[in-house]
Amino acid sequence: MIWILVIFLPLMAALFTAFNPAGKRRSGLIFIIASLPAIWLGLADGTGVTIDWLILGTHFSLDPTRRIILLLTGILWATSGLFAGSYLKDDARQGEFSFYYGAAMSGNFGLLISADAASFYTFFALMTFASYGLVIHSGTPSARKAARVYLVMAIIGELFIISALFLAVQSAGSMLLADIPPALAEAPNGSFIFLLGLIGFGVKVGAIPLYFWLPLAHPAAPAPASAVLSGAMIKAGLVGWMHFAPIGLVEWHSISLMMVGLGFAAALGAVIIGLAQVDPKTNLAYSSISQMGLMTAFLGVGLNGGIPAELLLPAIALYAFNHGTAKALLFLGTALPAKVGGAWRILMWAGLGLGVLAIAGGPLTGGLWTKYMLKTFLGKTNLPGAQFFLLLLSFSAIGTALLLSRFLHLLYRIEAPVVNKVPAFFLPWILLLIAGGWWTMSPALLSAELMSHVLGEKGIITFFWHPLTNWSALWPILITAGSLVMAFLLKLAFVNRWPGEKPLVPPGDFLYIILLAGYMVVKFLQKGISLLQSFMQSRHSAEKIFYGILDDKRTLQISTSAEALLRRWEIVGIGFFIFFLTLFFFLR
Amino acid sequence: MEMNSLLLILILFSSLVPGILILLLHERQVFMRSFLNLLGAVVKVGLVAWVFAGYYSGEEYVFIFGLAPDLTFALQVDHLGLLFAALSAVLWLVTTIYAIGYLEGGKHLRRFFAFFSLCVTASTGIALSGNVVTFFVFYEFLTLSTYPLVVHRGDDIAVEAGRTYLWYTIGGGTVLFLGVVGLFVVAGPVYFGQTEIIANLVAENELQLTILFFIMLTGLAVKAAIFPFHGWLPIAMVAPAPVSALLHAVAVVKAGAFGIVRLVYDVYGIDTSEQMNLLTPLAVFAAFTIIYGSLKALFQDDFKKVLAYSTISQLSYIALGVAITGVLSTTGAVVHLVHQGIMKITMFFAAGNVAETYGYKKISQLNGIGRRMPLTMGAFTIAAFGMIGLPPIAGFVSKWYLGLGAIEAESYWVVLVLLASSAMNAAYFLPIVYRAWFCEEGHEMVHRRRPGRFETPALLLIPVVLTGLFSLAAGVFAASANSPLSIAREIAERLYLYLP
Repeated sequence: MIWILVIFLPLMAALFTAFNPAGKRRSGLIFIIASLPAIWLGLADGTGVTIDWLILGTHFSLDPTRRIILLLTGILWATSGLFAGSYLKDDARQGEFSFYYGAAMSGNFGLLISADAASFYTFFALMTFASYGLVIHSGTPSARKAARVYLVMAIIGELFIISALFLAVQSAGSMLLADIPPALAEAPNGSFIFLLGLIGFGVKVGAIPLYFWLPLAHPAAPAPASAVLSGAMIKAGLVGWMHFAPIGLVEWHSISLMMVGLGFAAALGAVIIGLAQVDPKTNLAYSSISQMGLMTAFLGVGLNGGIPAELLLPAIALYAFNHGTAKALLFLGTALPAKVGGAWRILMWAGLGLGVLAIAGGPLTGGLWTKYMLKTFLGKTNLPGAQFFLLLLSFSAIGTALLLSRFLHLLYRIEAPVVNKVPAFFLPWILLLIAGGWWTMSPALLSAELMSHVLGEKGIITFFWHPLTNWSALWPILITAGSLVMAFLLKLAFVNRWPGEKPLVPPGDFLYIILLAGYMVVKFLQKGISLLQSFMQSRHSAEKIFYGILDDKRTLQISTSAEALLRRWEIVGIGFFIFFLTLFFFLR
Repeated sequence: MEMNSLLLILILFSSLVPGILILLLHERQVFMRSFLNLLGAVVKVGLVAWVFAGYYSGEEYVFIFGLAPDLTFALQVDHLGLLFAALSAVLWLVTTIYAIGYLEGGKHLRRFFAFFSLCVTASTGIALSGNVVTFFVFYEFLTLSTYPLVVHRGDDIAVEAGRTYLWYTIGGGTVLFLGVVGLFVVAGPVYFGQTEIIANLVAENELQLTILFFIMLTGLAVKAAIFPFHGWLPIAMVAPAPVSALLHAVAVVKAGAFGIVRLVYDVYGIDTSEQMNLLTPLAVFAAFTIIYGSLKALFQDDFKKVLAYSTISQLSYIALGVAITGVLSTTGAVVHLVHQGIMKITMFFAAGNVAETYGYKKISQLNGIGRRMPLTMGAFTIAAFGMIGLPPIAGFVSKWYLGLGAIEAESYWVVLVLLASSAMNAAYFLPIVYRAWFCEEGHEMVHRRRPGRFETPALLLIPVVLTGLFSLAAGVFAASANSPLSIAREIAERLYLYLP
């Protein structure tokens, strides 16, 4: 029952908040209620359920990895939903927003609890297409453009996903997702199927080179929608990868190296382009690409072999949990500086600062802990260049700290209200801050096996207060702070005098290269296309010959006179009755 | 005559008799006409449901009437026929309601509704035919009874379209006739399901049987609108919306597709067709038609034209599924017979509602129509997503089985065709959805032609909402008992029961 409620309540909430005036007013509360079953399942230990009449026979169940992601997703949809309820209350199209919000929520929860291919794909598609409505919500030209790019990429992703699922289901001989990784490990074309999935879900994850829709679409949506897009829905792609990745079963060295390479390229490259942005939300979107790059890399590490999936996947999931909650906190935070005044601003800046530190892996934050966990895996693998990648990991910490300082700076420039006031949506923001911090840092979500694998004998408290760990967390931050101060002192004004209106690199960078290439190809092929079009417009040759005979004078004459007769329907009607009856009796 | 045989005759008479009675009525007897029509439709649904229940509890339904030695008029019920009969009966009921609302106050309604009933008689006849000859009789009956519907408007364009329609379909019928006669000469009377007759003849008459197969296939391909015989379909779009809806969903095109299914599965048999290598050409033509139809649809601005080319493309999914052997692809083909019908009829109803309420016939006029007609466009959106193959709508189920079937048969190119078609479906359907829901309306407000309480008259609204819900339900509850999918799966499993 609870499993059905997880997907059913958000759908009901979508309808109720969209069409019922009372529901519209209380949408925040309704979305909280709608996400309670998901949060409950994320925390409780439930056995799965089979619903054999739904779609192609549905199985719902959870494993520790997806339980962590489900908890993250539930928290984000609940808090963002409450946030949206008051943030959008003056928006004329709040009803529409709620409709798409609820539908995407149902899809996002559903895909996490699905254990079979068809329902997973169903809910994934529901989420993807419903969130189109969130991206296009504001209706501005830039939002429309972002939505168009989003949709095209989403469809391309869907096509890759469905082909990967076709092949995977066929080679597994079962609809269960859990059977896919072992089947891919065995199948001769297993790595090809995995690559199809890698591309398909890579669109959602924002992996290189499929990421360019993301810096357009995530910032285009209203703040609460951006929060769930970048915090929760982006992780759906990661979950898709996890369903396909035969971690611990194979040693795919080249795919592993490719994923690690692309992952780190995203982790560092996105920082550089992100620094050139002037919109805080675009800045955050690039930070998401960077962080997802790290998760890509660590999934890649797993494909090199030697690491059991039961250890690696929950660790990546917890990293995603930390990133998701902190990123959502920052995305929601973009709406605050213009609304929060007076003493509340101190709390606001403290929260934002914690969010930034959590993503950058600062001392005493969940970011430090989750990154440390992943690091231990990198230390134990025989991947070529592991030491080099460890170094890159530290660089990425510096990069992230720089990028998010830039984010804070951008927020700082937003004019503060003069009065001492706080909007209603400050409450869910604080709730998110507390929930995110609590569950990332508490060992409750992880298995004892993983804890001892990472920490050995010492407990998590010792870990957090250990001087060495804190130093390893602190130095990238110190370097960042140092370089910022240096830049300021040298009056390069690298940060302060950044051209304020236009970003140095347009958001969606790579898209423009694609568009340019496309333009050139189109120009090159224009002749061919016009030829094709003229073919399309003319009747094809078989028809031409046919019409040649038809339009001949005599045929025309006969047929027109015959038709004049035929047009009198009584004659047709009676005629063919007689024909029918004669035939009948003749044959009799 | 025993009860079970009588039931089959009654199913046919439930639309034949109202059709004839309506001819005898006066044009102005609107109530009587509508009453007869609806009564017939409801009775037909009831009778089909009765037979359905009976068949599943083990009853047999056969009616054979000897016309001449070896030449019989035979009706019989099997799973496939029953599925098609149920589809015809239900969609006829829905379309009748729609047609009454749509044509209200028009001219020549007596003619229209009479032939409308005859047309459904023909299509149920096709569904229930027990042998090749009977099938052919109803197949031709269908051609003739749809002609007055196509030319209903009576203007020059309609008559011209009707002429093209007749040329194609009568031509196809003639070719099919040759094939049927040829088959009779070579194999004697062939009842559906007696595939051993052909199988036993293969050794001696391989060449004749191959030629006959392709002759019959050609005849059927005209109605199934497989390239290059698809030309009539977009032209026949001049017919009123309910006719187009019925033509594209159950009647004419479906008769062709159903005929192909029967020809391969129940006349030649999968084993024989495979052995004689008859299916590869069909697969190639079907695949080409899928792509070609989608490509043509991309360049249309006329709402109904887009739908017409989409039909051409979607119908070939059925032929493609038939052409690939395997339980999964057979399931996909058979279930798409139903799914394509309910989704496409929804789209035509929606297009008809928009045209009838606001006079919009072009896609470029549809900006913001979703706000004014939310239920109509909601149903359209469901159907469009289904056509693209997005879950959990009916079209997804078909695509899933066809795709898995293609991989099972190791015809990977078919998967590529399916994906390309999905992408193109998205490219021509999503702009409509986008305009309807996310674009602002233009400045000049066009006033409704028929003011009323709902977004459009209730008789037009109810059918579109119903079929939209059918499309959704067929996907969401696909795995439940008695869904189109479970029946299709049963048909497929029976067909492959005796095969290695």
